[in-house]
Amino acid sequence: MIKVKKLGAIVPALTLAAGLAACSGGNGNGKEASPGADGNNAGATTTASASASQAAGAADTSKFVKISYVILGDKPKNGQFDAALAEINKLMKQKINAELEWKWVEWADWQTKYNLLLASGDPVDLITIGTDWLDTWGNAQRGAFMNLDDLLPKYAPQTWESIPQEDWAESKYKGKIVLIPENAYTQWVNHGFFYRGDWAKEAGITEPVKDWDGIEKYLQYIKDNKKNVIPWDATAGVSTFGGWVNSYTQELELPISTGWLPVFTTKSVDDPYTVVSPIFDEDTMLNYATKMKSWADKGFWREDVLNYKGDTRTLLKGGLTGLDQHHTQTFGTLRVDMDREQPGSELQMYPFARTNGNLLELSITHGGTSLGAHSKNPERALMAYDLIRNDEQIYRLLNYGIEGVQYEIKDGKRVLPAGYDPKKNEFYSDFWGGRNDKLEIPSSTVWDQLPTTLYAEYDKIKHPYPYGQFVFDKTPVDAELTAISQVTGEMGPSIAFGKAGDPAKAVEAFKSKLKAAGYDKVKAELQKQLDAYKQQMQG
Amino acid sequence: MSAQRTAIKVDGSTLLVRIFGYGFIGAFALACFLPFMLVVGTSFTSESSIARHGFNFWPRVFSTFAYKIVFENPDLIIGSYWVTIGITVVGTAVGLFIVAMTGYALQRPDFHYRNRISFFIYFTTLFSGGLVPFYLLVNQYLALKDNYLAVLLPGLLSPFLIIMMKSFVRSIPHAITESAKIDGAGDFTIFLRLILPMTTPALATIGLFIAIGYWNEWYNAMLFLSPDMKYRTLQLFLYGVVTSADFIKNSSAASNVDLRDLPLESMKMATAVVATGPVILLYPLVQRFFIQGITVGAVKG
Repeated sequence: MIKVKKLGAIVPALTLAAGLAACSGGNGNGKEASPGADGNNAGATTTASASASQAAGAADTSKFVKISYVILGDKPKNGQFDAALAEINKLMKQKINAELEWKWVEWADWQTKYNLLLASGDPVDLITIGTDWLDTWGNAQRGAFMNLDDLLPKYAPQTWESIPQEDWAESKYKGKIVLIPENAYTQWVNHGFFYRGDWAKEAGITEPVKDWDGIEKYLQYIKDNKKNVIPWDATAGVSTFGGWVNSYTQELELPISTGWLPVFTTKSVDDPYTVVSPIFDEDTMLNYATKMKSWADKGFWREDVLNYKGDTRTLLKGGLTGLDQHHTQTFGTLRVDMDREQPGSELQMYPFARTNGNLLELSITHGGTSLGAHSKNPERALMAYDLIRNDEQIYRLLNYGIEGVQYEIKDGKRVLPAGYDPKKNEFYSDFWGGRNDKLEIPSSTVWDQLPTTLYAEYDKIKHPYPYGQFVFDKTPVDAELTAISQVTGEMGPSIAFGKAGDPAKAVEAFKSKLKAAGYDKVKAELQKQLDAYKQQMQG
Repeated sequence: MSAQRTAIKVDGSTLLVRIFGYGFIGAFALACFLPFMLVVGTSFTSESSIARHGFNFWPRVFSTFAYKIVFENPDLIIGSYWVTIGITVVGTAVGLFIVAMTGYALQRPDFHYRNRISFFIYFTTLFSGGLVPFYLLVNQYLALKDNYLAVLLPGLLSPFLIIMMKSFVRSIPHAITESAKIDGAGDFTIFLRLILPMTTPALATIGLFIAIGYWNEWYNAMLFLSPDMKYRTLQLFLYGVVTSADFIKNSSAASNVDLRDLPLESMKMATAVVATGPVILLYPLVQRFFIQGITVGAVKG
């Protein structure tokens, strides 16, 4: 038992190291696998099964194969997914003589399991990736993925042609394509405040809120006029400092975690390679702390906010609070929920980026698919992917389930069929590896005016994501980063919720603690790596 | 009996000790019991009430919704229960036997290589292969993927328990083994008939360790038993219920997951209740062995 426990404890630390150790093996096997693919291309007769007719360009599909696809999520327990997959496999069999196996990596310790699958050389075929949350570049570095340059045009032609060259460029590691980006699917995870349109109107706010002062006015109205409503029943788990930086500077957030709040940013879209800090430079942090202190003094949230564990979203739906904070996708479904639970509430969103027009697109490699370096059937796997991404019938089966059971189409929207029982009929596939707007059917659970309101607004101000290929190697500053994260987690919440006394003094104390934790060293290292990245991008 | 007991006079100091003793132990027991009550109470409280009033010993708004979600698929939870019970029973029995045998053999003075072999065992506590080799060994070399043995085997032996057993057996004089040998007993007979009965307290303690280890097993199950297996261990099942709810509620990575109204807090408590139940029953059964110690004066004269 002890041994097992210990294993569990050292896992996070060892995963990386072990992954590195497995790297050489991974590379070797990857190379072994690709000649096989080439051989198939050329129609070489070294293998016994090469008797099938191989017209130039057509792939050999004479042998029936199973293609695995590793995805993240918990397998639905009601059997509905298996039913849909059976339908998909009928089509797969017919079109490319293959069968798709959906391999779930559950949320229970998914980081370990996911990296382990790649590090151990299990022969996975297709696998979900995400450069910002699944350590895709790190895994690519360890040789976990197959190079796709030669395979794609031949075996996934539709995908190959539909993705523009500049997007392929973002999918390369050391000049080779190692992933297929989810570039054709609109998703916005930029954060903002959600507020009730009806109460805002009562408060005399007729225009959409465009800054934090507007929110303040709204909260003050609730405080003065709504009994038993806490204007913003906030919890200290979530930081809004990033939002403030987003609203009042042109600085860009970096894909580097410094714990509770961002410590390092870059200057602006025009100069995305110069490291600055919203805490040390200008008075961004001080202004924020002062504003939050005044909000705390006005009683916009609970006295015990730092220890409070409520669920602000549930409370919003219950009409017990007037404000919530999350990203645009969440807003899309929450708006529908609110229209149902608090009719007439007209939930609105103030995206932080609205104030200053400082909005980055989501990285196109936030989701995507790679091919495992040890895949036994790379050609067929890519053919299967091409179908998943571009074949309407398969796409719908995989993403929505079976028509008539999981959904019906009514006025061009997906609705739940009559007699739909969530427990019995619920369906999801957790496919985030290449969704496609062209084949999407709008859902009735998502606010239908998103595209014409927020999305249209975003389209006017958005900038492409500059850090899609930036891989921060944090080994030289690991200890300092940990210390910084500790400081932000320790002092951040009390400053952000006005519980740290005089803002100016609190911010000064915060700065000196960050300095002591190694702020300068991390900043220098970050700048060094960004300089190298700049070279890479421009040279 | 009772007549006799009342007849004994209790003097002042004894009384004082009793008052303090009972008072202290009572308070201590309460300190152990109350948190558990809080867990049980919260598990029956509706989520919105938790949001508004926090945790309570007694549910303000009674709700069994959390249990409904946990028991959403009763056959799954029952299946997981059986898997865990099976693994715990078999694992504890076999593990105990092996640990006892190893511990005994390693301290017999007439076992020539005992120090060398001990060293091999201790060595693994200092340097372990790490996760990837462990995974490769079980998954590829032993080919135990999706096999309950993958969960059973790694827990059978642990260096820590062997050391514990070894030092316990050392307190049994070697003379016993020798005298039995003179009487014509074989090594196995000696171990089964003489050593094992004398090590009951150690066996109870180590057995409990092993049993709890298996009962709480979710990590190896997570690594080696894929979700395609219908029944996996109880803890992994419960862990899955909580983590997926947590993930659905908080993640921005999975931005397209349909949000369900999940009673997260009360659900955590409900899983805790479901998971602890049987272990609580196990303690009173084994507990008496802990305080027993070695009472057998085996060597005479």
